[in-house]
This record gives sequence, structure tokens and C-alpha cells, in this order.
Amino acid sequence: MGRRRRRRRVDPADAARALPEAIAALSQTLPAGPSPETFRRAKFDRPEAAPAFWRLLFCVLSPQPPNGASASFSPEAQVRSVKLALRTQGYPRRALAQLPDDGSQGGRELLLALAWLLAREPLPERLLAQNRVQLGDEMHVCECEALASPGPPAPSVEADGCVDIRHLQWLMGKLRFRWRNLMASQQEQCALLGKLLRRLQRENARLQAALEWRRRELVFWQWMDTVLDACPPEASQPTFLPRIPTPGAGALEPLVRELQALQGELREAVEARREAWEAGVGGRGPEWSAVRTALREAVGQDLAALRRACERSGSLAQPHGPRRLVRTEAGAPRGPGLRAPEVIEALRSREAHLEVVLRRLQGQCRQELARLVGALPGLVWILPPGR
Amino acid sequence: MSIVTVQLGQCGNQIGFEVFDALFSDSHCPQGLCSKRENEAYQASCKERFFSEEENGVPIARAVLVDMEPKVINQTLSKAAHSGRWKYGQHSCFCQKQGSGNNWAYGYSVHGPRHEESIMNLIQKEVEKCDSLNGFFIIMSMAGGTGSGLGAFVTQNLQDQYSNSLKMNQIIWPYGTGEVIVQNYNSILTLSHLYRSSDALLIHENDAVHKICAKLMNIKQISFRDINQVLAHQLGSVFQPTYSGEGSFHYRRNPLGIDWQVRPPLSGLPTLGKMSLNKEFHFNTSIANLVILRGKDVHSAELGAFKDPALYTSWLEPVHAFSVWKTQRAFSKYEKSAALVSNSQFLVKPLDMIVGKAWNMFASKAYIHQYTKFGIEEEDFLDSFTLLEQVIASYCNLGF
Repeated sequence: MGRRRRRRRVDPADAARALPEAIAALSQTLPAGPSPETFRRAKFDRPEAAPAFWRLLFCVLSPQPPNGASASFSPEAQVRSVKLALRTQGYPRRALAQLPDDGSQGGRELLLALAWLLAREPLPERLLAQNRVQLGDEMHVCECEALASPGPPAPSVEADGCVDIRHLQWLMGKLRFRWRNLMASQQEQCALLGKLLRRLQRENARLQAALEWRRRELVFWQWMDTVLDACPPEASQPTFLPRIPTPGAGALEPLVRELQALQGELREAVEARREAWEAGVGGRGPEWSAVRTALREAVGQDLAALRRACERSGSLAQPHGPRRLVRTEAGAPRGPGLRAPEVIEALRSREAHLEVVLRRLQGQCRQELARLVGALPGLVWILPPGR
Repeated sequence: MSIVTVQLGQCGNQIGFEVFDALFSDSHCPQGLCSKRENEAYQASCKERFFSEEENGVPIARAVLVDMEPKVINQTLSKAAHSGRWKYGQHSCFCQKQGSGNNWAYGYSVHGPRHEESIMNLIQKEVEKCDSLNGFFIIMSMAGGTGSGLGAFVTQNLQDQYSNSLKMNQIIWPYGTGEVIVQNYNSILTLSHLYRSSDALLIHENDAVHKICAKLMNIKQISFRDINQVLAHQLGSVFQPTYSGEGSFHYRRNPLGIDWQVRPPLSGLPTLGKMSLNKEFHFNTSIANLVILRGKDVHSAELGAFKDPALYTSWLEPVHAFSVWKTQRAFSKYEKSAALVSNSQFLVKPLDMIVGKAWNMFASKAYIHQYTKFGIEEEDFLDSFTLLEQVIASYCNLGF
């Protein structure tokens, strides 16, 4: 397969347009994306570009609440939040941390920070996946939420014979009421479908922009090199490590001693309790050791099950929460997430385990009842048939 | 699903304010006795029903305020705005400079047609703000002029314009010894007109609420504010979100979808704040009962007594007539609360009394000219009497 020839005659007009179009595409994929003109101003560190970029970085770096309550953050708070987030991610340039908190300066540094974020991970794709339109094609894996709902009551069959006309009128009224409810629901459905359609259209536009961006990003990176060149040279220590408070030499010693003391106390307490327990139960006869072995076995089984569950690490690590249902081709390479057979398998093994526990508990109940029966002579207890 | 409230007249506007305030306070109550997620779902559901959102975050009540005098509306608007927590829309009110003189005919035949377009436009704007409209909640009194006459007119218009939406009228039943001489005329005209155009009439008797304030709450000087707050509390406990049936995990989307069981031909609904059954000599027969439970231990509540067939009319089985709505989320800081909405013979006596008094006045033609002056003729009165007598008869028949 031949590779496309890279060297083509580039029309100067196209070349001039390529950068703004690339930036525009990038901007469309980002929340609160500034215009290409703002990007240009940022390169020359013009103050009017700074607020837009602070806002952009804030939206990109902070997890956004779904109803967009970012209005509750003051500009200063946004600036501080951005600085903190960048430091946490290990952003190396000190100049950004030294920018004033009122958000009035720093266009170029912010532009560099944005480029740094873009270079580290596929940022537009991540943001798009995060903010995608919820289409309702999700299901819950864990059964905590799935309470069985009994469903609507079965319509009762009227007895033969004379029907009270008032009952008929009542039924008519009920029917009319249901009818109107249906109409209202359908109107609501139309309105919501329209809303959904508009959101999908907007999302489509953003997805197309993301594709555009990937096609054109080379131009952007070439331009970013010029931005970096335009910066004044950094001070002698460009790397800016987060400040780790260095404790004094003696600060840790007392902590260590305290921990060791606590550990000793704990060990003693455990030993004492174990001895007391042994003494308390030691007097029982041989049937106690049988119970004990049964208990040990049960605990061993529980541990084994737990170990198995942990070994399947990651696959069912988060069984709670909704998961999207996605159809894939039969032989397609495995993507992230669970596959239906795995889920079924996991649920079956959990079911089996729970059945064992249930039977054990039932046995215990039966034993307890038998003991009570024996303890009260003259009283007749009728036990339910054993299963 | 959202409800648009129409507050009519002095009574309607004052009560409407208390209702929105009660709903808002409850939904933002931190001690819900439930998980945080539950609380958030409850809040979101309440908000969608009754409030719309504006840019700066202060919720705006989904309401239209109508009165023929400016005083009460201005008071209501400023009270809401002062609270800082919620408010009415700036352009959601309509008022004039002259009142209605406690004359139903004036409200219905003069104010109604004259201001029909403006009022319906306001309502339309409020409806358009809703993603989905469940229906209308119209608060009015029966005895005055604006609330009653204009209220009847507006309800009729809503019937014509929004025939698929449900309408519930909250009606204030006047004091037996009320001050308005013609209150009985106004009442029967209101009831008969609403009967034909509304889907449900939720009735609060001033006398009953007054007794609650005096006996149960021990308030010495009972003001209208006290009465309105009790009313608002009762309405709030009916309207706040609940789950329907067992094991559903979304709040009911249909707040007005109380199967009002429109039976032939009436939908008068008295509401009781307490779960006391009316143990009179003859049983108070019901067509429909709805119990709403909120708070602790709702799932283990024993409701068998409500399913006794003796409570219901012979041609209806309890399973069709009785519904329960529940939620663990406590209402307004009450650890447990219950409300009963009942469609039963409870109002037959008061209705009969009003009809009787109105008839006596009518027989001597007292004050009739005030009504005929504005287009309500004697035939209209007679029609109203006939309809209400039929209603009383239907309800009495429930016992057989």
C-alpha cells in the first residue's frame, strides 16, 4: 500500500487558513473554547486573552457538576483551582504559579499549559466521552437496585349478573382520565425527543470538530514551538517540584514509638481475649470440636470465594453503578468493560455462594428450634416441613 | 412533569405564596431522614414541578398571579422576593385597579371577557417554560368576587384551551358565619360552573382549618396567616414527590395523577388533614381514598383498615378505590406524617347547608339584581341549584 505523498504544493492561502481552522476545531471540542483570535493574542501575552484561558483551563481541569454551577466560583477561586490542579498533575513551569490571582495576566503561560495538557493525553476525546449525551442505554450490573416490582394489578373479572350503571360510569371516567394522561405523555415524549435531537446534533458537531482537529494538529504544534520561543528564558530552576514539608529529624520518632506501643497493646488484648474464649469453650465436649471444624470450613470457603473475587481483579471491582450496553462484533478485540458472559458467570457464582449461606442459616434455625422444643416439655411445636 | 399554579384573588394569592414557601422550605430541609441521594432526587423532582430556573440560580415559582386589586399581589410579590430563596416571575402577574365587589357576576361576566386575552397569555408563557405540563392548580375562594367568578371563567378557558391537561381547583369553603352577605350565591355559582369544567375540586373549609389552629395548635389569636400556613402544610404534604406502588425507584412523574375517579357526574373532593375517620351514625361512604405517608417506617405501615369494603360504595371494590403513596423522605421536619385525600360524603352536609341558604335567599329574590345587572340571569341560578342538587343526590346514593 503506497503512502500518500507528503510533499504537495501548498497554496499560500490555504496555509494561512490552516492554523486558525485547526485552532477553531480544537476550540469546538473544548468547553468554553476561545476563538482563534484569542489564541493569537495569548501568544503575544495580551492581557485580554488571559480571562478566557483561565476559564478554559478551569472547565477542563475541574470536574464539572452536571447543571453547570461553575458560576458559583469567583474568578480568583477559579485561578487558584487551576494552579492547584496543574501542580497536582506535575506541570513544570514555575512562571504559571507566579501569575497574579486576579486572572488579569498570563495568556501565554496558560496557552503553554493547555498545550502541555493536550500533549499528555487525548484531552478532546476524554472530554467528549465525559460529556456525552445520555441516551438511556444503560443497565445496572449489581442487583441492589433491582427490586422486583409487582407490576400493575391484574384487571379483575367482573362477576356475571347485573352491573351497576354507576360502575360503568366510573369506568368511563377512568378511561377518559387515562386517555388524557396518554396524550400528555406523548406530548412530553415529543418535546423530549426534540431536545435530545438538538443535543445530539451539537454533540455530532463537536465530534466532527475532534476529527478535524486530529487531521490538522501538526500545524498547531508547529505554531506552539514559536510560542515557546517567544517566552522569556526561564530562571535557572525550570522544574518546579511541589513543596514537600520536610519534617525535622525528631518528628517521626515519637510517632514510630507510639505505633509500636499501640501494636503491643493490641497484641496483648487479642491474646487475652483468645485465652478467655478458649477457656470458656474448652469445657464443651466432642460435639463442639465438630462445630468448630464446620465453622473453620465455612470460613475457609468464604476466604476462598473472596480470593477468587479479588483475582478477577478489575473485572468486577466496581459492580455498582450503571453500565452502557454496547453491541460488539463476535470476534472483535475486547474493549474495556465487562462482557455479558463474565457478568452472568459472576452472578451465578455469587448465587451459589449465597445459597450455601442460606442453607447453613436454615440449618442453624432448625437446630435452635429443636433445642427449644426440647426445653419446653408439654408444648407441641409444629415445625414447617424441612426443605 | 410540571404544574402551573394560577393564584386568583386575595385568598388565592395569599395561600399560593404560603404553598410555594412550604414546598420550597421542605425541599431544602436538611433533615430528610433519608440518604443524600434520595434527598437530591426529591429536591430535583419538587423543583421540576413547581419552580423554573433562572440564570442567577434563584428559583422562580411556576405561577400566574391574578387579582383585580393591586394591594395583595404587591404584598405577595415582595414577600417572596424578600425571602431571597425563591421568587415569582417579574411579568407573571396581572392586576387592575378596581375590585369585584364580592360580585360573582362581575368577576365572571365583566372581568373575565375583558381580561381574557391578557390572562391566558400569561398562562401560556408559563406553560411554554415547562418541559412537560402535567396540569394546572388553580387556587381560589368560593365566597368572594374575583376568586370565585373570575376563577370559574379562567377554569373554563383552561378547559377549552388545554383540554388534555388536568386541572385541579383548590377551593376555600367560607366560614359558615362569613361576612359576605352573598357568599352563598357566589358559592353555588362557583361550584356549579367548576363542576362542569374542572377535573378535581380540592376543598378546604375555613371552619375546619380554624378548629385545627385553635384546638390542635393552640393558637390564641388566629390570623389568616395561620390558617393559610396550615393549608399550605396540608397541600405540601399532598403535592411533594412520592413513590407509587412498591419498589419503584423514581418519584412519581404525575403529581396530579391522583386517579380522581370521576364518577357520575361529580368531582368534589374534601380533604382531611388527619387520618380520623368520620364515625358518624351512618358511615361516611367513599368513592376514593388516597393515603400519603412520609417519613420513618412507611414501608411497615398497617393500612388494612382503609381496605375495609364497608368504607366504600357497593359498586366499587377497595382495591380500585384506595391508593397509597409513600416516601421515606420526611416532610417538613415531621418524623412521620400522613395525609388523607378523600372523595366521600363528607361534604354533603356543608354543601346541603349552603344550597339551602342560597335557595332561601333566592326565593325572596334578595340581591339578585346585582347579578342580573351583569348578565347572570335567574335561569343561571336555577341551573346551578339543579346541578348541585343532583350532586348531593349522587353522593347520598353512594350509601346504597
